[in-house]
Amino acid sequence: MSELSNFMSHAVFHALAGLITLVSFMVVASKHPVKSAVFLVVDLFLLAAVYATLESHFVAAIQVLVYAGAVVVLFLFVIMLLNLQPDQLRGLRFNAPEAVTLILALIGMFIMIGVSVAGKPTGLGDGSLTVDAVADGGGNTYVVAMKLLTDFIWPFELASVLILLAIVAAVVIAKKDKKDQPA
Amino acid sequence: MGLTADEFTVQFISTLLKFSILAGMLLQVPPVMLLVERRIPAFMQRRKGPNRVGLFGFRIYGVMQALADTIKLIFKEEVVPTGAQKAFYHLAPVFAVFPAFMIAMAIPYGPDIQVFGHTVPLSVVRVDVGFLFILAISSLAVYGVTIAGWASNNKYALLGSLRASAQMISYEIPLGMSLIPIVLIYGSLDLNKIVEAQTHVWKWGIFLSPISFILFLIAMFAETNRTPFDLSEAEGELVAGFHTEYNSTKFAAFFLGEYVSMFVLSCLASTVFLGGWQVPFFDVRSLDQLVGFTGVGAFVGFGSLLMKAAFFMWLYVWVRWTIPRFRYDQLMGLGWKFMIPLGLINVVVTALALAAVRFS
Repeated sequence: MSELSNFMSHAVFHALAGLITLVSFMVVASKHPVKSAVFLVVDLFLLAAVYATLESHFVAAIQVLVYAGAVVVLFLFVIMLLNLQPDQLRGLRFNAPEAVTLILALIGMFIMIGVSVAGKPTGLGDGSLTVDAVADGGGNTYVVAMKLLTDFIWPFELASVLILLAIVAAVVIAKKDKKDQPA
Repeated sequence: MGLTADEFTVQFISTLLKFSILAGMLLQVPPVMLLVERRIPAFMQRRKGPNRVGLFGFRIYGVMQALADTIKLIFKEEVVPTGAQKAFYHLAPVFAVFPAFMIAMAIPYGPDIQVFGHTVPLSVVRVDVGFLFILAISSLAVYGVTIAGWASNNKYALLGSLRASAQMISYEIPLGMSLIPIVLIYGSLDLNKIVEAQTHVWKWGIFLSPISFILFLIAMFAETNRTPFDLSEAEGELVAGFHTEYNSTKFAAFFLGEYVSMFVLSCLASTVFLGGWQVPFFDVRSLDQLVGFTGVGAFVGFGSLLMKAAFFMWLYVWVRWTIPRFRYDQLMGLGWKFMIPLGLINVVVTALALAAVRFS
């Protein structure tokens, strides 16, 4: 890898990381729920950009398709239909357990920043699926498909059965009893 | 990416150039369609249509009407409703335009060309999961409509945006499903490879998977909120739907978003079902040697794609002035009870047929 493209990929990663941190904070700190949802979309989209810089185009596309494109739209629907107003919601105030969690999270964040600035290895080496290995194996989509539909076929099928159950359950809950309805 | 500094520079500059040219081209779509949307119905209804506006005394079939309409649109007074959510009100047009331009970047507009010894693909970015990229970005198009309707603080706008977003989410599923058989047949998610595989007319997607083509065509109309699926702007019920409170340049942005996404989906339909930049019975790439000038093949290929896309654009207008609007429950029924089951059956049948061919 040349120095220029190496520098560029580092610069892009750090810019994205900074943006993601900022946007994630805005998701929690925004007073208006719709603003939070929109920031969440931007957040998930930027995360997909990080996947794309790691050459995992398949995961990046799925991230946008499922999370940014579908899940948050439903969030937005519910927020708009409930029409929550900012003054009905609690502002950014903390009770004791939340304050403790916040302090612990901040300590964890500073440790991580310290470790990454010091350049210490995380102890996790490269996995078997490096960029080159994936390219040799026939590309992103092929490798993911082979893993998912051979080695992990049972977990995959079980997950789809679980989702089906959840859908049926949601329909059963949402369906009103016939006797409850006015004649 | 194992790129040398030289390759990196070439890629950077060529991508920048290609993007500028493409963006400039896409901005020309709405003015052209503005005129087409008025002249074609006039032709269909046996009246004259706008044919007066000319330049320096020449009428040229009223071509300058497009310019006049655009100028009028831009110089209108801008009114922001008092109760609007200001930030979102101003952001919504951006959300509406952004996905259309993003999708346009992944479409291959011609065969690879050689420039100064470098191979340059004729799509702005070459993604090996082009299909998924397009579906992913087009799923973001809902936000422009949803946020516009909500931020305007207007009942009709909110109702229009809710209708539009429910419709867009519903029809995304058949849109994706109609493309699965194509991926199965050509064995790739890369749009370039799919075009290259369609060397002969009988290998075009429309002949190999006709049901996919029909499903895609219907979903295409619904995704762009065009007649007969323009429930979100049913003027008899909802004034103008989600863009009721928008005017001047912001309305022009919605207009731009709608027409660019129509054009991009037309390009996608041509790429997937009509052979993209391939010309029937003729290999475009052999033209370079035949004429002895590099780039001729790419130019002809681009023209071929443009003509196919123009056909779909014309179809949009044709259908708009032919078929009346659906009722909302009919629209949802068509999506969920007809198109999704048919799409599923289509996927299964195609997979079985392919398996039968391969293992026989």
